[in-house]
Amino acid sequence: MIRNIKTLLALAALAFTFGTSAYAQDNMKHEEKAKTLETGSFHGKVHGTSGRATIYQEADGKLVLRLTNFKTSNGPDVHVILIAAKDADDNANFLKSSTERVELGNLKGNEGDQNYEIPGDTDLSKFQTVSIYCERFDANFGAAPLEKF
Amino acid sequence: MNTHVGSWVLHRKWILAAVGLPILVAAWWAFRPEKLWINQRVSEPAPFASSTDPQPLYTGRLEGKAHQTSGRATIYRTPDGKQYLRLTDFSTSNGPDVHVVLARSDQANLTQEIVKGQLDSVELGSLKGNEGDQNYDLPVSVDLQKYNAAVIYCERFHAVFGLVRLEQF
Repeated sequence: MIRNIKTLLALAALAFTFGTSAYAQDNMKHEEKAKTLETGSFHGKVHGTSGRATIYQEADGKLVLRLTNFKTSNGPDVHVILIAAKDADDNANFLKSSTERVELGNLKGNEGDQNYEIPGDTDLSKFQTVSIYCERFDANFGAAPLEKF
Repeated sequence: MNTHVGSWVLHRKWILAAVGLPILVAAWWAFRPEKLWINQRVSEPAPFASSTDPQPLYTGRLEGKAHQTSGRATIYRTPDGKQYLRLTDFSTSNGPDVHVVLARSDQANLTQEIVKGQLDSVELGSLKGNEGDQNYDLPVSVDLQKYNAAVIYCERFHAVFGLVRLEQF
C-alpha cells in the first residue's frame, strides 16, 4: 500500500516536471509612462507612403496614435483614419467598399513625427488598420496594419 | 466699323476670362498640383516624457518554424547607450539547449526549419524561459544593419524554433 502511494507520488512528480514550462519575467528597465499597445509599418507604393504607426495608452487612459519616420505624398484633403479591416490596398476606396472608419483628423504633414488622439470609445480589436486617406478622391494613400506590441 | 469689331473681340475675351478663371481656380483647388513639389514636415515630440526611457530601435513579430512560436521581439537602447533585445507576449516550445541569437535575414539556410551548415549569428544567451517577458543584452559592437533577424535556435539540433525580421521602429 505504502509502496503504491510512493510510486504514485513519484509518477506525479515526474508528470509535473514534464508538464510545466519555464516562465521568465524580466521587468522593463524603466517605469513606463505610456503603454505601447499596437504597432505596424506603412505600405503604399502608388503614393510613396512609408514609416511606422504606433498606438500608445497614456497613464490617464487616453489613446494616442503616433506616426514616426513617416512619409507620404502631399495632397488635398488628406486625413488619418482607422478602418475596420485587416489591411488595405493602394488607392482602395472605402466609400465603395463601405468600410467602417474612425476619423482622427487632417494629416498634419506629409513628413515627420506626429500624434493623433483616438476617441476613447474606439474598439481597437475592430479597427485594426491605419489609413492615410484622401477624402476628396476617396483614395487610400497608404495603410499600416497594426499588430499587438 | 473697325472699332465695333474690336470692342466685340474685347467683350468675348472678358466672357472667356469670366468663365475660364473660376474653372481654373476650381481645378487648382481640387488637385492642388503645387503640393507635388511642396513638402510639409512636422516634428511633434512623443506624447510622454521619454528622454530617460529606453528607446525602441527595431521590432517585429516572431514566426514559428520547427515549433510553434509567437510574440514580439524589440531592440531597445538605453540612454547610456546599452542595447538589449526584449521578448514580449512570447511563447515557444520548451526544449534542450535553446538559445536566442541574432542572424542575417538574407541567409539562405535560415529559410529551412533545420539549418544546414554554419549559421552566421551573434549569441545573446540561453533562452531564459519558453514563455513570458524577457531581456537579453546585446554585445556592444553588434551591427544591427547586418544582423537584422532574431532567432530562437536549438543549438543541439540546429532547429529554428522561430524567427523574426526586425524592422525599424
